[in-house]
Amino acid sequence: MKKSLRETGLAETSHGEGGIAGHLQYWTLKIDESNPFMQIHLDTMLVSIIVAAGLFIFALWLKNRLVEGVPTGAQNFMESVVGFIDQTVKDNFPVHNPLIAPLAFTVFVFIALVNTIDILPAFLLGNVAHLFGVEHFRPVPTNDLNLPAAMAVSVFVLVLYYEFKLKPVHFMKELVMEPFTSLVPIYLKPFVMPINLILKVVEEVAKPLSLSFRLFGNMFAGEVIFLLIAFLLLGGGAVGMAAGFFVGLAWTAFHLFIGLLQAFIFMILTVVYLSIAHQPVEH
Amino acid sequence: MSLDLTFIGQIVVFLTLVFLMRKYLYGPMAELMEARSNKIAEGLAAADAGKEAFAKAQAEIAEQLNEARAKAVEIIAAAEKRAAELGEESVTRARTEAEAIIDSAREEVGAELNRARQTLRAEVADIAMLAAEQVVEAELDASRHTKLIEGIVNKGFGNA
Repeated sequence: MKKSLRETGLAETSHGEGGIAGHLQYWTLKIDESNPFMQIHLDTMLVSIIVAAGLFIFALWLKNRLVEGVPTGAQNFMESVVGFIDQTVKDNFPVHNPLIAPLAFTVFVFIALVNTIDILPAFLLGNVAHLFGVEHFRPVPTNDLNLPAAMAVSVFVLVLYYEFKLKPVHFMKELVMEPFTSLVPIYLKPFVMPINLILKVVEEVAKPLSLSFRLFGNMFAGEVIFLLIAFLLLGGGAVGMAAGFFVGLAWTAFHLFIGLLQAFIFMILTVVYLSIAHQPVEH
Repeated sequence: MSLDLTFIGQIVVFLTLVFLMRKYLYGPMAELMEARSNKIAEGLAAADAGKEAFAKAQAEIAEQLNEARAKAVEIIAAAEKRAAELGEESVTRARTEAEAIIDSAREEVGAELNRARQTLRAEVADIAMLAAEQVVEAELDASRHTKLIEGIVNKGFGNA
């Protein structure tokens, strides 16, 4: 993405050092220069830890103020969120698993909060970071593939864990026997098994891939559009400034909606994938 | 747009957050909400039970009232019957007593009559003796004549 933006020449003609591409750089700590894996995005880590810590502090604060009677304010709001997640999980799950609802709740709330950071003015946090001498700063952790991938892979590992725990034989059988085995004569079955396995692995791996790239792609595109609005319109005099302000405002509202929607989609797919793993074996 | 150590860091952050949320936010809230819905359900059940008990009590009251009314009617009927019986009894007793009084009075009258008759008889005999003494002025054997006179008197009073 960075490369393509540079190639269009857009980034170079725009304002600021490095143009749009410059704003899409992470604040990176390189541990081993030769190995691209051995680096860490400090901005992603920092913001996600701050959001997580904020959530934790909020949880502690709210826990001491919980009343059993008529809920008000923050408790009322959180109860409606908890009730909504609880209902979604109950609608999808054939059995009760005490881990699923808190997991879905965390996925939804964390992603929604992190996505909402994106509606802050595009350069605000970056400029704050500049004050502290940080050259590049990406304020929204979901714009970094690492966060969606981390969550998606965690969910995927959990799905595999439940598949193996709840119906190991059935799952192993499904890996090698579906979809072709029943269609071929018995002497051909050993030959189609590897094909089945490859197809099944692709099918399974597609789950975390699509889950993470959907969130990442939506949020990344949203940020790029914010930057485009900023670069193309805000530099164009008074009319451009006014147009940029209103277009930016409209996109902010829309992006806020997309952020919530993506959080919901991630949450519901997490529940659905885990629910598939919990479905009893049909004979 | 590549995976690096941030990926590992994010997994740690995410799983820690799931653990913390479960323990400190979702868990207590879900528990609280369940406790509340249980309480509401209990309250509704209690209200239903109360309503049922009220209806039952009302039915019981109505039944008891009916029973009491029926008993009252019965008691009144019995009392009326008893009163009628008592009246009849006293009338009968009064009649019997009156008859007894009349009978005894009649007997008394009869006895008195006899007694008067006896007295009269004796007196008449005396008077007759006296009269005979004076009439015949003779010495008469009192005892022989007394017998004779008594015979005459008896004859005389025999029709009385």
